[in-house]
Amino acid sequence: MATQAPPLIELRGLSKSYGGVQAVADVSFAIERGSVHALVGENGAGKSTLVKLLTGVIQPDEGDIAINGAVERIADPQAAHHLGIVAMYQEPTVFPDLTAAENIFAGRQPLGRVRTVDWRGMRAEAARLFGELGVDLDPSVPVRGLGVADRQILEIAKALSSSARLLIMDEPTAALSPNEVDNLFKTVRQLRDRDVAVVFVSHRLEEVGAIADVVTVLRDGRHVATRPQTELSHGEIVRLMVGRSLDQLFPKEEAEIGDVVLRVEGLGRRGVFSNVSFELRRGEIVGLAGFVGAGRSEVARAIFGIDRADTGELSIEGRRFRPRSPRAALSRGLAYLPEDRLQQGLVQPMSIAINTSMAVLPDLTPGGVLRPRRERALARRFMEQLRIKATSPAQVVRGLSGGNQQKVVLSKWLAAEPRILILDEPTHGVDVGTKADVHRTISHLAAQGLTILLISSELPEILGMSDRVLVMREGRLVAEFTRAEATQERVIEAAAGVREVAA
Amino acid sequence: MSVRARVVSPQGLAETVFRLRELGIFIALSLTVVFFSIRATNFATAGNWRDIATDVSIVIVVAVGETMVVLTRNIDLSVGSIVGLAAYASSNTLADHHGMPLVITAALAMAIGLACGIGNGLLVAVGRIPAIIATLATLAIYRGVLFQVTHGENVFASQLPQNFLDFAAKTPAGVPSLAWIAIGVALVGGAVLRWAPWARDFYAIGSNPDAARLAGIPTTRRVMTAFAISGMLAGLGGFMFAARFASVDVVAGRGFELDVVTAVVIGGVNVFGGSGTVLGAVLGALLVATIQNGFTLLHISEFWKIFFNGAAIVVVVTIDALITQRLQENLRRRRRAEIMSAREQAAET
Amino acid sequence: MSGLGRAVWRVVARWEVILIVLIVATGIWSATLSSFFLQRANLLDLLTPYIFLGLLAFGLTFVVIAGEIDISVVSTMAVAAASFAHLWNAGVNVWLAALAALVVGTGLGLVNGLLIGVLNLPSLAITLGTLAAYRGLAYLILGGEAISGFPTSFTNIGGGYIRNELPVALLVLCAFALVLGLLLHATRFGRYLYALGSNREAARYSGIPVTVVRVTVFALAGLMAGFAAITYLGYYGSVQADAGSGSELIDVVTAVVLGGVDIFGGSGSMLGVLLALILVAELRNGMQLANVSGATQDMVIGGLLIAAILAGNALRAAQGGRLRIKRAGSRKEVTQNSQLDSPVQATIET
Repeated sequence: MATQAPPLIELRGLSKSYGGVQAVADVSFAIERGSVHALVGENGAGKSTLVKLLTGVIQPDEGDIAINGAVERIADPQAAHHLGIVAMYQEPTVFPDLTAAENIFAGRQPLGRVRTVDWRGMRAEAARLFGELGVDLDPSVPVRGLGVADRQILEIAKALSSSARLLIMDEPTAALSPNEVDNLFKTVRQLRDRDVAVVFVSHRLEEVGAIADVVTVLRDGRHVATRPQTELSHGEIVRLMVGRSLDQLFPKEEAEIGDVVLRVEGLGRRGVFSNVSFELRRGEIVGLAGFVGAGRSEVARAIFGIDRADTGELSIEGRRFRPRSPRAALSRGLAYLPEDRLQQGLVQPMSIAINTSMAVLPDLTPGGVLRPRRERALARRFMEQLRIKATSPAQVVRGLSGGNQQKVVLSKWLAAEPRILILDEPTHGVDVGTKADVHRTISHLAAQGLTILLISSELPEILGMSDRVLVMREGRLVAEFTRAEATQERVIEAAAGVREVAA
Repeated sequence: MSVRARVVSPQGLAETVFRLRELGIFIALSLTVVFFSIRATNFATAGNWRDIATDVSIVIVVAVGETMVVLTRNIDLSVGSIVGLAAYASSNTLADHHGMPLVITAALAMAIGLACGIGNGLLVAVGRIPAIIATLATLAIYRGVLFQVTHGENVFASQLPQNFLDFAAKTPAGVPSLAWIAIGVALVGGAVLRWAPWARDFYAIGSNPDAARLAGIPTTRRVMTAFAISGMLAGLGGFMFAARFASVDVVAGRGFELDVVTAVVIGGVNVFGGSGTVLGAVLGALLVATIQNGFTLLHISEFWKIFFNGAAIVVVVTIDALITQRLQENLRRRRRAEIMSAREQAAET
Repeated sequence: MSGLGRAVWRVVARWEVILIVLIVATGIWSATLSSFFLQRANLLDLLTPYIFLGLLAFGLTFVVIAGEIDISVVSTMAVAAASFAHLWNAGVNVWLAALAALVVGTGLGLVNGLLIGVLNLPSLAITLGTLAAYRGLAYLILGGEAISGFPTSFTNIGGGYIRNELPVALLVLCAFALVLGLLLHATRFGRYLYALGSNREAARYSGIPVTVVRVTVFALAGLMAGFAAITYLGYYGSVQADAGSGSELIDVVTAVVLGGVDIFGGSGSMLGVLLALILVAELRNGMQLANVSGATQDMVIGGLLIAAILAGNALRAAQGGRLRIKRAGSRKEVTQNSQLDSPVQATIET
């Protein structure tokens, strides 16, 4: 029996948790050289955590990574680079002011006789790389003028040139036209034929089918399967992605569903989403499902006035509403709990009290004067209501767990006493106990007459909480299910655009 | 089987405008020269041009160094003080040692400048102090050092050796000697920025500091080098200053940094770093010097000059930033709209 | 560390307390240099030459806390002063001329604010340009002239004494410190500034009118420059176009940074800046007594500025460690990979 060479990369028992939430648990699989390895799973399945582990951005709590059989510690992104692991994201990292050739050879330009930059040689080598990859790119073109697709090709050329062994592509096709996707895949195949391993993180199953050799499915931070792509149909992949029992149902209170409070008609933002129309009724919880990049948060931001929509109309309780700014939205009873808790939701160095009162300061400050006592009282009220575990309202938010932080953000918006509450991934990265608390609160609010739009990537959560489920894909609203009609498979299929009939 | 890569057209046009920035300044310069030649007597005389050349040479030499710093997304405001310090050192040395070869004196001035530049580099690259604050502080510190060394006394022209006093007035081949130095520095500086791999790193660092670090570029070392060069060239500028003005006092070079930064900014060196050329800085310096000279000849108040410098910076930065912002935004939106419509078409088939 | 020790540490380890210790230490040093230092007249008069610097520093504090920088404040003061002098010299009533100074200062600050807040231009580059442009403006207004001879009712503001002992300047400074301190620490506007400086995006999402606040803060700095101009004129009794073109800028920036205001925004206190101002004034006074030349004094202040930033950096690095020195307000998460203009840079890159 011939001895087999160890796989290029082997993940062994990797586990990582953040603030009480297990992002990845005991994940083991192998990545072979010269293969295109797709990594699929819902949002929150652990894909990006794995990518971060491989690129040295974070360190595993348990387990290790072996490269060519030898265990390596990937201490930071530079170490990953050294080891030949290169990552490429939707927005490629480039030097906009330099030319294509310079981008490839930044920091390691080919040198001529007198150790000066060999421009001709650099251009020639860049041209040769482009030729190998089958692209017709001008080495002297300034990268600022290049679109995303070309920049990605550039990054691939860079990887090839620096003898990368593993290229990780994280949702690379989100900003590409179908033509460009084809070209990208051609380039990726070239890479594969040169023995480079490519990890392709994507939720677009038709693309997975087109390019991948092997597919690894993750679910809830665990490894589910790693199989050759030919052995898996789209339907099976979907089932593997979501195949969990739904016995963990959430306590949803009965709520009386009333009149339409928010009507969205033909909302569009050029290049981001188009023709989005839906209604929300009093007391309703409407779930908005879809993969990253489908446009859900963008729609929310347009409704809330953070971004400006190009087309469409909004009306709240029958009256026309033009969301000029978050402030305007707030004054009409709209509130939006943003996706990124740390960057968009909290001012980390400040206390719970300050964060809680931030959106309602005009009401708490008669004559413009701060009333710390009122702020503290407000904070205390929510700390009790939402069961926020902290020493006092004066505690700085940075030190709180993810779950408690999220509760503070929720407090901020509840303090504004909104009539319509848009929640964007409210239980993302949050422990089970907090999740239950948040769900209980949401349900209770709806029962009291609030209207909730729940944007979430957690299917059990959406299915458990929602009266209706809307699904977005590629910037359009593609499906609507009632609570009775909605199943995990149907939602994912709509989100992924799979046309197979679920078993 | 190959893929055609497009440079999206409208972007390409603006891109061309940007790349031809140097051409644009050259045109502006030519127009300015024509304008003043017509309107101002004595403008288009050899004597006037000699004066312009001599004065602008000092700015050019220091601007070459400043360019390197600005390329890395930093700034050096201490060059004025370094010029003063080096000028004094040059004059003082020559006053005490009449026989000292001028080349050695210039080297001494550059050495002093180099030391100051390294000081700046340590504060910014190692100490992680924002360049604006660090060089604002060293502006005061180096000026203070000058004062300590001089004890408030001047070096007078009468103390200096004749060969030094004559130096600035010489015109080998019809070109003032200081201008030759400037030409030399500009050529060397331009060559270094084009051909030296470590200098190309300046562009990368200014364009995307994180990516530069990721690519393995030793950013700390490079930034220190940029400041060191800036200091060294400011030192040379100081030597030239002493040659030009003979009498050097404690306030020599005060405010000079503004002239230099104006030249660099007008010359198309992006304040965000990552792009710009020595040629641009030189043309920028020439344009500013010409306009100011023209103003003087037209008897326009001295004080318009100072206002002009500042206003020029504000206007140029504003226009540059606005154009870039609009371009990026338009490009992004147009691309995404294309993608969306392409996808819709594909979905319908 | 014992419970008591920790409690004591929490009280002691505040930036303001450290400043007080330094002030006392400097005082002792000055006293050893000359017995004149401890005389009441001298102590009371300590801050008088720095009143206009103090007002400028107070104005700059607001800007820096909000996450921006404005190095044109001194030039703005020069234009305001020049406008005042020019108008008064032309026969305008001295108090109307003073009002004009305030309007001019606010207007110039507003220009900064519009360019930076509305057009989203980089505050560093823009205020570098306006620093020069405004200076030029001052020259255009006054030329090379020096104007003096203002009525004593006016010059008393900056240079007068109550009962021949208590400097009016000291009272003015304290009054402003109090009012501005309240504005910064006790009003909604002040809270907005801290939020902006800590996390602009979160502030926007919270419904804070980011653009308006940013424009206002620059206008406020301009207004303070106007007040500074008035007190400058009061103290010196005359004005030239080059007013403040010396070490003033570095003193102002040092007072702010030394006062514990994080250069990246989000934290700092008015009390700290006042204390830092006292420290700077005391230091210069002491150096004067020691016959240290002006240029050398500037050197020391420059060194102090550097030390203050390095100390701030060290604190940030030690954050999360055992050593923790509290600064009023809050501390911002710093990404040390770009310069002060990083938020703007993000909008320009793809």
